[in-house]
Amino acid sequence: MNFLGYQRPDGSAGIRNHVLVIPGGFLAAKIGESVAGVRTIVTSDSGSGRTGRDRETIARTLIGLGRNPNVASVIVHPLSPGAGYPELKPARLAEEIAGSGKRVELIDVAEEGSTYRALEKGVNLAREMVLEASRLRRQPFDLSHLTVGVKCGHSDPTSGIAGNPVNGNLFDRIVAAGGTALFGETTEIIGAEHVLSRRGINKAVSRGILEAAAETEERAKATGEDIRTINPVPSNIAAGISTLEEKSLGAIHKSGSAPIQGVLKYGERPQGKGLYFVDNWMSMGSIFAGYAAAGAQLVIFQLGGGGWRGGDILPTSTAVVAPLMWTTANPKTLSHFPTGIDFYSGTVIEGKDTIAKSGEKLLQKVLDIASGTFTRVETIKHTDPTQIYLKDPCF
Amino acid sequence: MASRGALMLSDKDNVATGLEDIEAGTEVSVRLGKEVREVRALEKIPFGFKIAVVSIAKGAEVTKYGEPIGIASRDIKQGEMVHIHNLEGARGRGDIARGGSR
Repeated sequence: MNFLGYQRPDGSAGIRNHVLVIPGGFLAAKIGESVAGVRTIVTSDSGSGRTGRDRETIARTLIGLGRNPNVASVIVHPLSPGAGYPELKPARLAEEIAGSGKRVELIDVAEEGSTYRALEKGVNLAREMVLEASRLRRQPFDLSHLTVGVKCGHSDPTSGIAGNPVNGNLFDRIVAAGGTALFGETTEIIGAEHVLSRRGINKAVSRGILEAAAETEERAKATGEDIRTINPVPSNIAAGISTLEEKSLGAIHKSGSAPIQGVLKYGERPQGKGLYFVDNWMSMGSIFAGYAAAGAQLVIFQLGGGGWRGGDILPTSTAVVAPLMWTTANPKTLSHFPTGIDFYSGTVIEGKDTIAKSGEKLLQKVLDIASGTFTRVETIKHTDPTQIYLKDPCF
Repeated sequence: MASRGALMLSDKDNVATGLEDIEAGTEVSVRLGKEVREVRALEKIPFGFKIAVVSIAKGAEVTKYGEPIGIASRDIKQGEMVHIHNLEGARGRGDIARGGSR
């Protein structure tokens, strides 16, 4: 069970081979328009007017994206409204990314004399770095080098019965082979946290899971609103999910059955291998960048979709450097998004596959994508914006 | 296509999930593992929606996956659909925390 990846200096394995420019903004966007193979984060979360805790979350996200194995090398620039804060100083971001051993270049716009002169330097640097990255060849790595993050969304009853359990089976296989798997969406463990907390490897982890759910529930209650008017989202209710508890009890199946090694913050890198719970927010605009910052090379959206109508193009990855694959167990969703679904697990509901058999097929698909095959939405040249998960009020 | 009926996920459950569009009056085969029981649908129940496999009194817990998913907000007859019109969540209720009532 190997995949073909790019060896990085810290021993990790990239499944893609990008040059990353951070933070987002004019300079990063223009370098990306000019040079093939360059990625940047599209977000308005600069850190300006944010608390120290939130600025650290932004820094952790940017540093984590830079350290992600899918990134060959990184350019850091100072043209961001938040760059003056100590957490977000370009030199700090560059130094922490460089700790992984990969090449990091810092552009000093003041020294270059103008933004356009800095752009010229950035384009030339990026071209050189992309060329350098292209000389790398893929080689075999075992699953201990793979980290995958999952979100379930527009969930419907096929999610809890088949889609999420098949993803859980995938996670069990990855963890058993020494790899790392990330799941989260704290709102969507409310009502199921007592079940999940039994799987913590020790009391501290079990307590951490309960505390994350309690903190989120308290914040929900403080709004004065019935959470059912917020989450389950309208598409969940339209498809037959009635309460948050019901949604949560289906959602936790995506984590499989492995022991939970720890509770991570958004964008926090796990200290070891295995299954981790991430205290994050369910939004697809937010969750995937956090997984990528934690080191995930691949992210999965397990889609119910029974109550979701709209265009037939699925959103692209907001993980900046990690490809997004879409899975579903709903036959109607499969036919609604014929060019978007990478893997179909509805064969479980049709009685053609067991959950284990479908999980085995999903693992083969994951290894194929990890080895270089594009996901469906990777073929679309569009970047949806990323919303970093910040918990504090802004000032 | 053969009838797929409805699926119970635990023997503690009092609802099952329809695996096909179920018409009113249909005898629905409700599966729990290898066991099958028949429940007559009192109304149309679309794919993915829940059917009560026993009668559930107002105020009682509704159970799926072997765990409570909320409270019946009115008496529910065996064979009725169970959804937001007769089932309320008990968690994250900011409206109640602010002094409202169910």
